[in-house]
Amino acid sequence: MSMSAEHDDALEDEVLRQVVGELRKPVRLDPSLDRRALDQIRAESHRIALPTSRRWGVWIAGAAVAAGVLLAVALPDRETPPEPASAVALEQAAVPADARPVRLRLAAPASSRVAVVGDFNDWDPAATPLRPAGDGGTWIVELHLKPGRYHYTFLIDGRRWARDPDSPPAAESDFGPPVSVLTVS
Amino acid sequence: MSVAGWLVFSVCLVLPVTAWAQDERLTERLDSATASQVQEVVDSARRGGLPSEPLVQKALEGATLGASDARIVAAVQTLHGQLRRAREALGGEASDAELTAAAGALRAGLEPSALRRLQSLRPDQPLVVPIAVLTDLVAEGVPPAEATRSVLDLARDGRPDDEFVALRRQAQGRGAGAEPMGRPALRPAADPPVDQ
Repeated sequence: MSMSAEHDDALEDEVLRQVVGELRKPVRLDPSLDRRALDQIRAESHRIALPTSRRWGVWIAGAAVAAGVLLAVALPDRETPPEPASAVALEQAAVPADARPVRLRLAAPASSRVAVVGDFNDWDPAATPLRPAGDGGTWIVELHLKPGRYHYTFLIDGRRWARDPDSPPAAESDFGPPVSVLTVS
Repeated sequence: MSVAGWLVFSVCLVLPVTAWAQDERLTERLDSATASQVQEVVDSARRGGLPSEPLVQKALEGATLGASDARIVAAVQTLHGQLRRAREALGGEASDAELTAAAGALRAGLEPSALRRLQSLRPDQPLVVPIAVLTDLVAEGVPPAEATRSVLDLARDGRPDDEFVALRRQAQGRGAGAEPMGRPALRPAADPPVDQ
């Protein structure tokens, strides 16, 4: 190996040592770097922000979601109308825990059909038919009603109204046909 | 809060109210103008914290019984006023059932003071049955003062609901009509009077 080659090797070693030494020195960051970086990010995000129409879209979507949540909370409390129900469906419907069994009866021997309408079935003549009791003249139906006070009346053969003779009459008669009052405790 | 924020907040407030504004039972059973008038009363009751279901039922009652539109609206408005008076008498803590029963009592001619007195005598017990019995007695022809005195006597003695019901039966001198199942039937076998 020549002297020149040895010199070159030594020089390279020295250069490498200096480079490694520099690289091993701890890097001292500018204390304001974080702040400047965040400022830059904010500036960029502002520059690429959604156009106004899209921002409104986000607000509206948010409103829709919020409204949906509110409606989901509010609607269960709303007194939603039940579907018109047959007697069988009525009996199969879920009975509220605090409901009380109540039997309504009406003696109407010359009738072919009897129904009861009242506050408990939205006054729907098709909702709660009575069934023959089997004694040739009495019609009966069993209901499950929550405690409260209910107005009701019977509809005979789809055309005649009859108050329940064994329940108190309603103190008020707003519409003409006689109405009875039932109190469930 | 920004304008947009306030707008969203307002929408969130208004939407549930809008949902109230449509009761399908009314729109299905009444003509649109009558349904709207009834709905206004119903919404007013809800905003005022009053029970609204009795108002809907009153309108449906009128529709089923063939009443005129004007009569239906008038009956609903009258009931709304009675519910308001009932709450004035019983206060905001009264249940919907109690307010409904009390509205009927006022309709029967009983004084709000009688309801307040009854409430003071039964502070921790439901008032539906005593109020209902009071109303029924008056409807059967018992003078309001006498009916009130009898019911308040029972309340003062701390009697249970069954004894109020017994009082009504005693006054009526006959069975109690729609009886709870399992109790002896007191119903007469004769045909009821049938009204056209």
